[in-house]
Amino acid sequence: MSSNSHDTSTPGKRHKQESPANHYYSYILSILLTILAFAVVIYGGLDRSFILVFIVSLAIVQALVQLLFWMHAKERGHLFPLMFIGGGAIIALTGVAAAVYWTWW
Amino acid sequence: MSSHPTGALPAHPETATLEGKNKVMGFWLFLGAEVVLFGCLFATYIALRNHVTDGPTAEEIFKLKTVGWSTFILLTSSLTSVLAIIAMHKHKLGQLLFWLLITVLFGLSFLGLEIFEFNEYVKEGHKFVSSAFGTSFYTLVGFHGAHVAFGVTWITLLILQGLRKGLTVVTAPKFYVASLYWHFVDLVWVFIFTVVYLMGKVGH
Repeated sequence: MSSNSHDTSTPGKRHKQESPANHYYSYILSILLTILAFAVVIYGGLDRSFILVFIVSLAIVQALVQLLFWMHAKERGHLFPLMFIGGGAIIALTGVAAAVYWTWW
Repeated sequence: MSSHPTGALPAHPETATLEGKNKVMGFWLFLGAEVVLFGCLFATYIALRNHVTDGPTAEEIFKLKTVGWSTFILLTSSLTSVLAIIAMHKHKLGQLLFWLLITVLFGLSFLGLEIFEFNEYVKEGHKFVSSAFGTSFYTLVGFHGAHVAFGVTWITLLILQGLRKGLTVVTAPKFYVASLYWHFVDLVWVFIFTVVYLMGKVGH
């Protein structure tokens, strides 16, 4: 359903990649990251704290992929959106870090 | 239908007007605030997740199979909502509405699965009031579920409006912003399945 449209691929100047290929790649990557996270937990046998760090890292990678590709944040003119999300993330992570600190140390 | 605005529409109808630009920018600010909201709920959950008192523990009740399906459904719905936006940029109203409809259907199946899951938990004694773990769990996951429910309603109304008004510089920002919202809801779920379900299974 993607092939037959007018100017999908204006070469050069266009910053926007309108072909759905990129989005399919992000989708497949997200699926793979998800399966990996589930697999590590289900078939684990690894060190517990390693698993925790590993799956949280996978989640962060997946979130970045989705933010940058699916939410178009990597395109031009997204400085303010990234600042808003980044600012929110700093506050959120401070809260999470405090909770982790209080409960585990 | 009556509207054939395609020829006159710019390549990015969602930011073609100042109002559209402002809507998209303002929505990002809202999403920044949503990050803080969910951050607080995650922090609360992380602090309380091992306080189970008499209730079952996370390890005992979570079923990764159900969660795996929910994850797959929501992830796929995020893809279909981005396909809707691609269709919008090609000025194809029919495709746009079709992909939004698919997104709504995936959202509804996700909700169905979540209701089924919560119902099972309650049967096993994992309730909102059974422990601090229960309260923080249902608050966090329930808030996300409420976001999905809101998104489903919102996008359904947008589809109806799209049928009536077509694709214009007025309706385009609405579709775009709804798609951003839907991606964000999916993004939050990535952390929920990691922090709540997978870390729950790893144990404490």
